[in-house]
Amino acid sequence: MSAGPVAAVIRRRRPAAISPRVLLALVGTGATAAAYLWWHSTPDVTGLGGWLSGAGQLCGLECGYAVVVLVALMARIPPVERGAGADRLARWHAMGGRYVIGLVSAHALLIIWGYAVEARQNVVAETGTLLTGYPDVLMATVAWFLLLATGFVSARKVRSKLRYETWYYLHLYTYLAIALAFSHQFADGSAFTTDLAARFWWSALYSVVGAAVVWYRLVVPVRDCVRHDFRVAGVREEAPRTVSIYVRGKRLTELEAEPGQFFRWRFLARGLWWQSHPYSLSAAPSDDLLRITLRDDGGKFRALEPGTRLIAAGPFGAFTSARTGRPVLLVAGGVGIAPLRAMFATLPGPVTLVYRASSEGDVVFRPELDAIAAAKGGCVHYVVGRRADFSADPLSAPALRELVPGAEHMEAYLCGPPGMTDAAAAALRDIGVPRRRIHYESFEF
Amino acid sequence: MRRVILAVTATVAGLVALLSFKSHSPQESLATPATPFAGAGGESAGGASTGGETGTGATALPAGERAVTGSVANTNYGPVQVQVIVKSGRIVKVNILEQPTSTEEDVQIGQYALPKLIAETLTSQSARIDTVSGASYTSHGYIQSLQSALDNGA
Repeated sequence: MSAGPVAAVIRRRRPAAISPRVLLALVGTGATAAAYLWWHSTPDVTGLGGWLSGAGQLCGLECGYAVVVLVALMARIPPVERGAGADRLARWHAMGGRYVIGLVSAHALLIIWGYAVEARQNVVAETGTLLTGYPDVLMATVAWFLLLATGFVSARKVRSKLRYETWYYLHLYTYLAIALAFSHQFADGSAFTTDLAARFWWSALYSVVGAAVVWYRLVVPVRDCVRHDFRVAGVREEAPRTVSIYVRGKRLTELEAEPGQFFRWRFLARGLWWQSHPYSLSAAPSDDLLRITLRDDGGKFRALEPGTRLIAAGPFGAFTSARTGRPVLLVAGGVGIAPLRAMFATLPGPVTLVYRASSEGDVVFRPELDAIAAAKGGCVHYVVGRRADFSADPLSAPALRELVPGAEHMEAYLCGPPGMTDAAAAALRDIGVPRRRIHYESFEF
Repeated sequence: MRRVILAVTATVAGLVALLSFKSHSPQESLATPATPFAGAGGESAGGASTGGETGTGATALPAGERAVTGSVANTNYGPVQVQVIVKSGRIVKVNILEQPTSTEEDVQIGQYALPKLIAETLTSQSARIDTVSGASYTSHGYIQSLQSALDNGA
């Protein structure tokens, strides 16, 4: 954020954030360094065998590097979370994960083939030689199969059939895979067998990322839980399947949470303690109270007793006010209203809110929203009804242009189901809002 | 789908680029100026007179032959050391004193590559020889040790 005309709006120093571009540049630099390890340790490449095993070595090095990056993206490192946003990180992680599965398979197959050519053996015999004659290759092979299995359960078709928690806990096996694959890199990788400096930096990379995971995913949430003493203060039913949970805590200002951000919540109650879910703050945080609003299809949250302890990890999310001084348009769909409700109340100046819900009963916060709009001169448009009830898409470019005059000059924030936010973002671009002024976070975790 | 094609293409292109940069002919990659052993030795004719720096075992050799031992070249798979037997300024034999043997594969590669390297050496009478495909580390170790032997003995 630059200082200047908008400085007056900024109430406090913004926490450090690494922008997506800087993050990508860092990742790219690391990948180049990994390729350099191969370059540095390889005298030359001759013949088919040399080409194949060279390509295999490169794939292996990049793979050993990429798994660390994938873990780092999910390590909940605050500047990374703030800068890139949790949903972008999750997307990158998913894309990178697929790439790594391809890379590790290419590594294994190219090495087998290349070594077979060099040793003038058939590939089956060479596979046997590799598994039994080379140190730790057997463990690395188990790691490969674990990664393949993780890739399989993460494939869209399979994942939609699994419960979120089942998928999540299966995913933790990747840590085991990374550990199993580590030793064969030093024992067999020609980039490391004699190069102590390479070993040092490689180990340092793994250690730092490992420490970040332990620190930010385990230590910090528990520490915050003790320090802030989060407890359920009460539960309010907002709509038939939507509840707000009020959470009481101590010294919450220290968390530096902003409207639009979310925490990962783990309620320490029967049937809920083993799952952790991201829910956005639906009101501006105060020093002793937070509010979240969520779909409660199973009715488990409604039954939460006041006083129930909980672990709140966060805040996360880059879905916060860009503070550009432009008029603001908020577009909410369904329970996506939660973070936008918080932003609606706190953003300076008049704000326009378009709230899409599929039925009147699904609309939450109507009195609150109307009160905020009246108090600060904002404007709320409720767009209610099933898609089939409208003759045309109610959030298409022409419809939005009519609903919100001057939308093309606004800073837009979108939150809702992925299909809705994608469609609304496309409509806004059609109206003439540049991509950089359309902010959205999709809640598909 | 387009992203997948892009990722695969970019990866393959990157791999090919890196590998092809490393796959130029080994003669160019050798920085040490290759000393044509036959030429230097041939002019001095009486090889025994330059025996000051020669290696061990010279006494056991037939008359007119001398042994020059190269330095140990360390490769990622283990040390390589050669000894050349010179007669009238010509390399007549190459002995392998050390070679990587820590795995079965190392032994196999040695068995296959070293005879080729020796044959090449005897033909070219220098360390200006091609590396053997599939045995680049061993080849480089061999060439390095051979070069040092020639530097010592010529």
